[in-house]
Amino acid sequence: MAEKFFFIVFAALAVAGALGVITRSNIVHALLLLVFTFLNVAAIYMLTQAYFLAVIQILVYAGAILVLFAFVVMFLNLREFMEQEQLHRSQRWVVLVLAPIMLAEFVFVALGITWASIGGGMGPEAVAAAGGNVRAVGMVLFNDMLLPFEVASLILLVSMVGAIVLAKKEDAGNMALREWTGEEESAQVLVDQEV
Amino acid sequence: MSIPVEWYLILSAFLFIIGAAGVMARRNMFIVLFSIELMMNAVNLNLVGFSRFHENLIGQNFVLFTMTVAAAEAAVGLAIVTALFRNKKTLMVDLFDTMKG
Repeated sequence: MAEKFFFIVFAALAVAGALGVITRSNIVHALLLLVFTFLNVAAIYMLTQAYFLAVIQILVYAGAILVLFAFVVMFLNLREFMEQEQLHRSQRWVVLVLAPIMLAEFVFVALGITWASIGGGMGPEAVAAAGGNVRAVGMVLFNDMLLPFEVASLILLVSMVGAIVLAKKEDAGNMALREWTGEEESAQVLVDQEV
Repeated sequence: MSIPVEWYLILSAFLFIIGAAGVMARRNMFIVLFSIELMMNAVNLNLVGFSRFHENLIGQNFVLFTMTVAAAEAAVGLAIVTALFRNKKTLMVDLFDTMKG
């Protein structure tokens, strides 16, 4: 009973924070409200007894990804964009019509189906017997999902390289024509030599 | 079963629709990125709710991969934002109309 009460409280706070994110014109306020929403989602993970994910949600999502956003928001001078028009001119009416319809569809489907649990797997007792949530999740991750885990590291590597290449400041010297000379300095920047 | 799975679905639907509305309605590129993160969190919530409902830990593991993809998306998205801001001196998505889309 207490669980249901806290679920409703955290869910209401999360939805309120999410509404705040898309209505603020100040980006820093929107970012902080997004952190607030994610913390409430972490609390709901905690109620669901997904303890590892709750901690990871706070550490990685609210702690790392959103701090990355905050860095970039602080780097760029965004004050002038807060006074400009924040909504698309015609699209906002489309959203006002479409969003409630989509929401009604989702709720209709969620409530219209009688969900039947498979059950009998890793219930709370089985997780406790296996040594806790973190241990149980780790056993699944490193046994059944070892290949996806390695692929995920590859995705992170590729995105890191991509982010560095995209955000790098391009000066003229780096963009100059290069020529293969066959000597020890395989690729020499011709422009740099001449200038 | 303490919390019904429908509650997770409805909360997730609310967060997802709010995120989708943010992507569609807002002009500011940062708010669009925030809204995408909101939608990813809605999906994560669904996965965790069903993971608890079916007493299966695969769903919780899948959330880890979603978070990996979210981190990659945030890094590349922010790099694109900084590159666009440097070249166009604006952040409003409807002004990036070089390709007349």
